[in-house]
Amino acid sequence: MSLIIQQAALEAYLTDESTLPSDVLLEQIRSSTALSALEGLKIYHNAYRARLLTVLREDFPALYHWMGEESFEQLAMAYIAAWPPRHFSIRWLGEKLPEFIGCYVAEPQLSPMRELAKLEWAFTLAFDAQDAEALSLERMSSFSAEDWISLSVSLTPSTRWLPLQYNTLELWKTAKSGDRLPSITRLPANQDCLVWRHDLVCQYRSLEPEEASALKFFIEGGSFAELCELLLPEHAEQAPLQAATWLKQWVSEGLLMRVGGIEEVVSE
Amino acid sequence: MSMCNPLGFGLGLRSEYYQQILEQRPAVDWFEIISENYMVEGGKALYFLDAIKEQYPLVMHGVSLSIGGPHAIDIDYLRQLKSLADRVQPHWISDHLCWSRGNAHQLHDLLPLPFTQESLLHVAARVRLVQDVLERPLVLENVSAYIQWGTSCMSESQFLAELSYLTGCELLLDVNNVYVSARNQDFDPWQFIMELPHDRIRQIHLAGHSDYGHYLIDTHDQPIADPVWSLYSKALSYLGATSTLIERDDHFPPFEELLSELAQARAIAHGVISGATP
Repeated sequence: MSLIIQQAALEAYLTDESTLPSDVLLEQIRSSTALSALEGLKIYHNAYRARLLTVLREDFPALYHWMGEESFEQLAMAYIAAWPPRHFSIRWLGEKLPEFIGCYVAEPQLSPMRELAKLEWAFTLAFDAQDAEALSLERMSSFSAEDWISLSVSLTPSTRWLPLQYNTLELWKTAKSGDRLPSITRLPANQDCLVWRHDLVCQYRSLEPEEASALKFFIEGGSFAELCELLLPEHAEQAPLQAATWLKQWVSEGLLMRVGGIEEVVSE
Repeated sequence: MSMCNPLGFGLGLRSEYYQQILEQRPAVDWFEIISENYMVEGGKALYFLDAIKEQYPLVMHGVSLSIGGPHAIDIDYLRQLKSLADRVQPHWISDHLCWSRGNAHQLHDLLPLPFTQESLLHVAARVRLVQDVLERPLVLENVSAYIQWGTSCMSESQFLAELSYLTGCELLLDVNNVYVSARNQDFDPWQFIMELPHDRIRQIHLAGHSDYGHYLIDTHDQPIADPVWSLYSKALSYLGATSTLIERDDHFPPFEELLSELAQARAIAHGVISGATP
């Protein structure tokens, strides 16, 4: 049997759910006194699944905690069968899990499950996203009037903007602390949540609707003066102070950089 | 005598120890990175890599080249590897004599090849391609095996020797893998080492394994076992001073325990090289 056929037979066995290899493959393997051909093949078969399951557990710890060991493993095995690893780095294994959940379960579980998976994957993406020089208060303190007029910002590349419909953040935080999980509830209104990396550490926070609108306006090209105008009906003479307070917070948190684009996790 | 200018005694660089390494500057001669962990766009891994690179010699060790795979060599992977090498300026770049990707999927394991003439020609052609892109000899490691192909007509060590002769590639002798495979596959570990061209061995790996009674698994989550220390000592008496690295990938102990294992490797090497009983 040629090399390529031997490799195809082993690949087919490793990626198949059955732990029993084909007779054709078995005949290609020589038993030793320590390990029969079947035992040796099963070591690789088990290792393939165990390795991938471990990575998914590590990348989706809250989903794992929420679903429980058995249900999560069933999801993971179904996912691996549908989306076997294609990238040379195992770090990308979970990329399609949020999308896969859409065809794995039905409502009412589907939406909250997928939302939690998206939140967790946003952390994975933020962790090693492209480095960028975030706008700093120090840099802004030396802005000229012209700098303020021409200031155009985007979110830093690690930032993901997630519109949440459920108490997913609360669930995620509780899972992380190891406490008893709350039940899933739908929020009275959608909640915007940011996940990003600042000073090498992943961060997250939710935004009140007004702050979310202001931030979106600002990163979509609105100037600081225009932002103040936008806030005028609600805040009257306090509008510039409110705009400055938010801008200072966004900059302090390392959310903004000069020029770029917004990367949004769009809800499906 | 093994290849000239050995780096001394090193450890696998793992994120669990980043902070400690930078703060304490431990007496480690060099670090080996897992290349794929740093083939990312930014973040913590690259930050610490750059900082540690300023203070220690580095070597790159990959797990995804799949030099014996049935697929075409992944040029995008190679380009990223070369780009990382340009950043790291490693003393050398290694991977494994194995295949880790099939025709359709990444299998994320170090799968053994049948040791045949067909495999030899297949792998040799790919090693030459990789070396052309990387602009340096590739260093290839023997893997732990739990199966052996019935069509093999030579040993893994004979295969590595032939491959090195055909391509100029260098070798990474993983002493723990030799021991694990020898126990699992009924061969003499010392004969394996003797069959390797000693002047092509660039580096030695040491690691721990798990004993399942009638077979062993290469887990890298235990201290180095006594028979592996003995084999290392014997190997050094054959090879002379050789860059030695300890790998630990799970159940991470306090860093001091790894330093203690490194001191043991140093003591053995000193004893063997100076002619004293280790």
